[in-house]
Amino acid sequence: MNPGLRASLADVLLALADDELILAHRDSEWTGHAPILEEDIAFANIALDELGHAGLWYRLVADLRGEDAERYPDRLVFHRPAGAFRNVRLVEQPKGDWAFTVLRQFLFDSAEQVRLKALADHPQASVAHTAAKILTEERYHLRHLQAWVTRLALGTPESGRRMQAALDQLWPLARQLFQPLSGEAILVEAGAWPASSALATQWQAAAMDFLIECGLTIPGQILPDESGRQIHSAHLEPLLSEMQSVARLEPQGEW
Amino acid sequence: MSDTQWPRYEVFQQETPDRPHRHAGSVHAPDAEIALLNGRDVFVRRPECSSLWVAPAGAISRATAEEITGGALEMDSTTGEAVDYLVFAKLDARGMLTHLGQVRATSKVQALQEAARACGPQTPFVLWVVPAAQLTRSEPDQAEPLFAPALDKPYRDQAFYHIQTALRRLRQEAGD
Repeated sequence: MNPGLRASLADVLLALADDELILAHRDSEWTGHAPILEEDIAFANIALDELGHAGLWYRLVADLRGEDAERYPDRLVFHRPAGAFRNVRLVEQPKGDWAFTVLRQFLFDSAEQVRLKALADHPQASVAHTAAKILTEERYHLRHLQAWVTRLALGTPESGRRMQAALDQLWPLARQLFQPLSGEAILVEAGAWPASSALATQWQAAAMDFLIECGLTIPGQILPDESGRQIHSAHLEPLLSEMQSVARLEPQGEW
Repeated sequence: MSDTQWPRYEVFQQETPDRPHRHAGSVHAPDAEIALLNGRDVFVRRPECSSLWVAPAGAISRATAEEITGGALEMDSTTGEAVDYLVFAKLDARGMLTHLGQVRATSKVQALQEAARACGPQTPFVLWVVPAAQLTRSEPDQAEPLFAPALDKPYRDQAFYHIQTALRRLRQEAGD
């Protein structure tokens, strides 16, 4: 793979890694607070899985950039300012209520599944292998989340109302997941990345079918926010300052 | 005060396909599907799991060794259609409730009696029977996403973060 493609591949994988990392952090905020003990354990598992997935992608980014696979991910996570993160705004939103959390996780996992399936036969073996590995866990996440979305959406009038409110807020944000990634174009042309637009169509159809079956109403045409992944909401900065606080106290610290 | 807990389900775990299912513990869940998922998250920590079963706690009939030998199972007046029951028994004091097989009976009490008889001369410490129709099993084709080995997730283990080693070093440095 030529240097230009390698650099672009690192950039797009960084976006995926940042999505996983920030969502893992938001999910971890439920630890000790989920509605019932069993779900607390389950959701902490999911948060850890997402963190693990972020780690896998960060290592590939390190490899592609010729950096140390052990240290570079820590530098990316703990020593980058908000403006350098490439996660979608969907994942940085505060955790909200349980309906919001469950629906966000469903939208993210269903989108990820579409993307991972496409990446599972990537020409770069390390990418294909990582995608296949993550996909196994995502199949479980999706089953878990579909079970929750169904029950909350069709449960009581209050749970249904909260799910609809969550969808109204999350749907426009979720569409950013498949906005073309910066650096994607030359990779798509080289057959080294699935075009986001094609994945978007596939994901939307599947997610909409499921949500409609759950009795939810897909929000009408809203002009999508076209600003890219370098633009963040006001919520990312406080999240990072908490997540990075220890590392910032002792930048040269060694474990 | 009303009980706001979800109903309880008993979870049975099979470590490898050649072994019997054994009782792992209980979870709360609104229904069997969530019970299966909760059972996975609560009990499937070790790498070995090939199948999970769950049953509503209320559907399980239980008998202790005293009840079996003391004749508490004799008074059975109810009769219905014969159905299959799965039998779980704890055969030694420190063992776990283990799936032994299946009996066919027209009532719960008859199922317990049949199960006790099937255990042979050895009276089990505890005996459970579960109507087969009340049992929910994990699907074999879902085994991989449900039970993929935890061995390749070292980040789930505290040792992965070298925190203990680091703490020990810090304590030594502090002259503790």
